[in-house]
Amino acid sequence: MTAIRLRNVTLRRGGRVVLDALDLDLAERRIGLIGANGSGKSSLVRLFNGLLVADEGEVEVHGLKASEKASELPRKVGFIFQNPDHQIIFPTVGEEVAFSLEQSGLPRREALKAAVPALARFGREHWAERPVHALSEGEKQFLCIIAVLVMEPAVVVLDEPFSSLDLITRRRLEGLIATLPQQVITIAHELDAFAAYDRVLWLDGGRVRMDGAPAEVVGAYREWAEAQAAEQALAGDAEAGA
Amino acid sequence: MISLYLPERTWLHGITAGRKLFALALVSLLIAPFDSLPLMAGLLAAVLALYASLGRAALRQLSLLRPMAPLLAILLALHAWNGDIWLGVSLCLRLLAMILLANAVTMTTRMDAMMDAVEPLLRPLAWFGASPRAVALAVAMMIRFVPLLFALWDALNEAWRARTGRRGGWRLLAPFCIQTLKLSHHAAEALAARGGAPRGDTR
Repeated sequence: MTAIRLRNVTLRRGGRVVLDALDLDLAERRIGLIGANGSGKSSLVRLFNGLLVADEGEVEVHGLKASEKASELPRKVGFIFQNPDHQIIFPTVGEEVAFSLEQSGLPRREALKAAVPALARFGREHWAERPVHALSEGEKQFLCIIAVLVMEPAVVVLDEPFSSLDLITRRRLEGLIATLPQQVITIAHELDAFAAYDRVLWLDGGRVRMDGAPAEVVGAYREWAEAQAAEQALAGDAEAGA
Repeated sequence: MISLYLPERTWLHGITAGRKLFALALVSLLIAPFDSLPLMAGLLAAVLALYASLGRAALRQLSLLRPMAPLLAILLALHAWNGDIWLGVSLCLRLLAMILLANAVTMTTRMDAMMDAVEPLLRPLAWFGASPRAVALAVAMMIRFVPLLFALWDALNEAWRARTGRRGGWRLLAPFCIQTLKLSHHAAEALAARGGAPRGDTR
């Protein structure tokens, strides 16, 4: 079974076509999404867990049709955002994890009790009582991932998870991601993060411009981006000279 | 940055939220009819002793009172103008003692325990179609986002000062509101990504 399937999916936002008649089958375990700002990467992954709904076409995630079972998608597709501060809802680590457990069906009291063993699975049981604002950036990102993983999703989507991390923390996070049993879909501008991925898609203007092995797609994208930058610099000079 | 909850366990952490809240209500009711200066001074001393018994981290939270200083000064000035400065002093002592006492409950009670204690009082909301769980979630999110809003204000102030060399003051209010709305949009999206706010009483 194909994990994620898109058929003729079009998405418009504010009158603009953001995703243009996409047909995709995403079955690989590690998939990277690259592309310039505004190319549609973030919108695409938001279709997978129902944060956005396609205007046309059909999205199917692990057997669930997004048009019919939108409310069940968050349990199938975990979502890690760029800024952990936007994602953490509760004042203490234990409550944050308990909320996820509650969302996946445990009654509240049991969820609160189960939060500590859930943290222990990641070697962080001593975090339970900690206030979240006392955690470092990397620790907050890790908490977001724990809170998503305890819901046991089939897919984990990471939307620019590395943006505010230093290189050490980023490498540790990449190491953690590599060990996840789930299907992982990552958006990132750190192009070397995709070296060990199975497949990389390059989005441009709401369409797939290139799709294949990381080395080829990342290489082509890098070349294109450098050429674009050079071209724009020339155009800028011409404008300044005129 | 204000951090309401004390992560280090103290003896006050061990007492249930319900008892602490009840004691707080009882003390404020009992002292309500009195305004004798020695009584208020004694009360404040007792509260300070309570803080001392909770350790150094608790005593550090006394700095929380600094923003109160202008308000207390105005209260004192008003009473002095009315010719009853001692009533003003006793009023200030009462305010200080009660704020510190309430803070002692906040800093030793986890949010979920607090909401468990308060939820039965919110239950009548269900008659009007509002979920007590949703209210509890809103309160928890408010507590969580207060330090973040302070950080947001600091960041705006820094950006202002970097370009003007002066403090931003009231001029930051409009951008602050816009940034706050943006922040709330992100938080709402993250909440939706995890299945949204729980509906109804799920217990």
